[in-house]
Amino acid sequence: MTAQRARCLRRAVRAEWTKLRTVPSTPWLLAAAVGLTVVGSVGALASVDTSQCPTPTECFEDTTKLSLTGIWLGQAAVVVLGVQAMSSEYGTGTIGSTLAANPSRRLVLLAKVTAVATAALVAGVLGVLGSLAAGRAILAGNGFTSANGYEPLSLADGPTLRAAAGTVLYLGLVALLSLGVATAVRDTAGAITGVLTLLYGFPIVAELVSDPRWQHRLERYGPMEAGLSVQNTMRLDELPIAPWPGLGVLATYAGAALLSGLTLFQLRDA
Amino acid sequence: MPTMTKPGADRQPETDGRDRFGRLVRAEWTKLRTVPRWLMALAAVIGLALLVVLIESDQAGNEVEEGEPLEEPEFRDELHFVHQPLSGDGSITARVVSQEDSHEWAKAGVIVKERLEVGAPYAALLVTPDHGVRMQWGFEHDVAGSGGGAAPWWLRLTRSGDVVTGYESADATNWQQVGEVDLDGLPSTVEVGLFVASPDVVTIARQYGSNSVNEAATRGEAVFDNVSVEADGGSPSPGNGEWNDYDTSVEPDLGGSTESDGVFTLMGAGDIARNVRPFGDDLVELSLSGARVGMLAVAALGALFITAEFRRGMIRTTFAASPRRGRVLAAKAIVLGGATFSVGLIASVVSFLGWQANLRRTSRTPGLPELSLANPTVLRAVVGTAVLVALVAVLSLAIATIVRHTAVAIPLVILPLLVPSILSGGLPLPVANWLTRLTPAAGFAVQQTVTRYDTAIAPLVGLGVLAAYAAVALGVATMLLRRRDA
Repeated sequence: MTAQRARCLRRAVRAEWTKLRTVPSTPWLLAAAVGLTVVGSVGALASVDTSQCPTPTECFEDTTKLSLTGIWLGQAAVVVLGVQAMSSEYGTGTIGSTLAANPSRRLVLLAKVTAVATAALVAGVLGVLGSLAAGRAILAGNGFTSANGYEPLSLADGPTLRAAAGTVLYLGLVALLSLGVATAVRDTAGAITGVLTLLYGFPIVAELVSDPRWQHRLERYGPMEAGLSVQNTMRLDELPIAPWPGLGVLATYAGAALLSGLTLFQLRDA
Repeated sequence: MPTMTKPGADRQPETDGRDRFGRLVRAEWTKLRTVPRWLMALAAVIGLALLVVLIESDQAGNEVEEGEPLEEPEFRDELHFVHQPLSGDGSITARVVSQEDSHEWAKAGVIVKERLEVGAPYAALLVTPDHGVRMQWGFEHDVAGSGGGAAPWWLRLTRSGDVVTGYESADATNWQQVGEVDLDGLPSTVEVGLFVASPDVVTIARQYGSNSVNEAATRGEAVFDNVSVEADGGSPSPGNGEWNDYDTSVEPDLGGSTESDGVFTLMGAGDIARNVRPFGDDLVELSLSGARVGMLAVAALGALFITAEFRRGMIRTTFAASPRRGRVLAAKAIVLGGATFSVGLIASVVSFLGWQANLRRTSRTPGLPELSLANPTVLRAVVGTAVLVALVAVLSLAIATIVRHTAVAIPLVILPLLVPSILSGGLPLPVANWLTRLTPAAGFAVQQTVTRYDTAIAPLVGLGVLAAYAAVALGVATMLLRRRDA
């Protein structure tokens, strides 16, 4: 029985993977996710220089986090990818064929989760490695040298490895959040707007709010700011939320979205 | 004679063009108002704006320490003043021998002040280290002298009735008029003398991954000699020619003066100018900040207004009914712009008034600024927000027409619009400011009502940047719409 289920799942995953990789937009979106991430990181890296600090040794710059700034842009392509994996089936009516071929909706969603997460994680690995490589190349030229107390970025360094791996996972979770929301609302525009509001809405409001209590709450429980807490390598005790629990907040959002998506998926007609 | 019509155009003569365009606009309006989801998006703009206002005004009153006035004075009147009274008409002359370069706008010179009180009317003739001789009055009027260059300078102010005239000279023989001002209602006895002031310096340094801003007082110092006060007609000075000190320096221990053998040395810190409040909250901008979140719904609506037609093939019906595609897009832009402007105006007026009312209710601080819609600056921000909303909708419509996919159009509008303001805190200030100036995010500048140290672009210029983006995108969209198959 379990062997049969595993075979079903394997087939469903292969079907979803075929769908995802043969849609012309997928390679573009993945390239955009990697490209935007690296370009954004390079821009941020190029703009920061130790000469802007009181003295070069008093920057207290989190160079790892700075090198990963581009994720703020790159994640938008992943949102589109995650949403479209589900919503385009409703847009074109393919969902009928999908469910005819595989009537278990739980299995369909699980297969989509696997395919979308894999694609997002691959894009994440490439984007993160590209950004860190850019960091190694640019930082020293802008004064972040060993003489000023900055070692070159290295994945052998525990906190940097955590930031890098965490950022890759962050992108995977954003894709799942998008997939979950898209499964619930079934409409491309609505789902993309909803996810972008969830991600960017919290920091916008947090930036404008001057009450420290509200600011703290918004930074602690907003999916993007909490999730990206994992990028920090310095002064962890001053963060609104610690790195891994922060990623857990995003995972909770993604899980809740997938769960409500699945519930609605099972209750509704296709 | 039958008029020529383009192939495929309907048979009505061209003279009907305006009427047909009216019908086109009506058709697009019907499309907009009959899709419930789009109306929901419009409602969401107002809803999101109000939600943000509720969150923010909930705390806006609490942040103010009790007794600390939220409103700062309109001007700063900080100086060290060595003065004596002057009755009737007369003049004061002095030579500024040297001046410390404590600030590019440090001031040293002679002044006529109505009375010894902060904010009292004055006229000052002064030397600055980097901006030559200036004549200033009323906290905002500033006239440059003829010659550039720093001290030494001979300066003279004469008073005749209500009129004060300033003269400068390099050698005490050739005098040149710098400026003349009518100080209405100047009393017969005024205070004249020497003064020194030096504005605060704002330094921005990067630390801990963000900008740390520091404002520090600077101490101005200048040496004067050949000081003389002359009353016309030789009427005796009420103070018997005795000099007194008056100090309103921003830090009292920075002000002071010494005198020996007619050589005066004055020290003072502060500024005599309009108060620019470089760190003050912009209460109007805060009350309208809900628009930033509302933009997500606006961008989605703008994109859907055309992509829904592409996706359902409806666009072919639309073009069959009115083959002139440029006009179709124009009609869509007008309807969408008009609808979003109206909704934006409702949202901004309601959030401004609601925020004000809530602030007044929750704050126990007296002296809150009276901001009303009748104030032209406030009105510019409130109406400008509605224009901003409409421009974003049209920009989104144009971009969606170009890329023809909702999923691509929405992030293409949202990212450049919202990410600059989110990222700006983590980037060095000049970079963040350029990012704001060059992206559609510049449009949010129209909500500003005060100039801060981090102000990137003037309100209407910023709105112009966004309008330029929308216009260019609309132009490209029209071109592509004509050229491509539907």
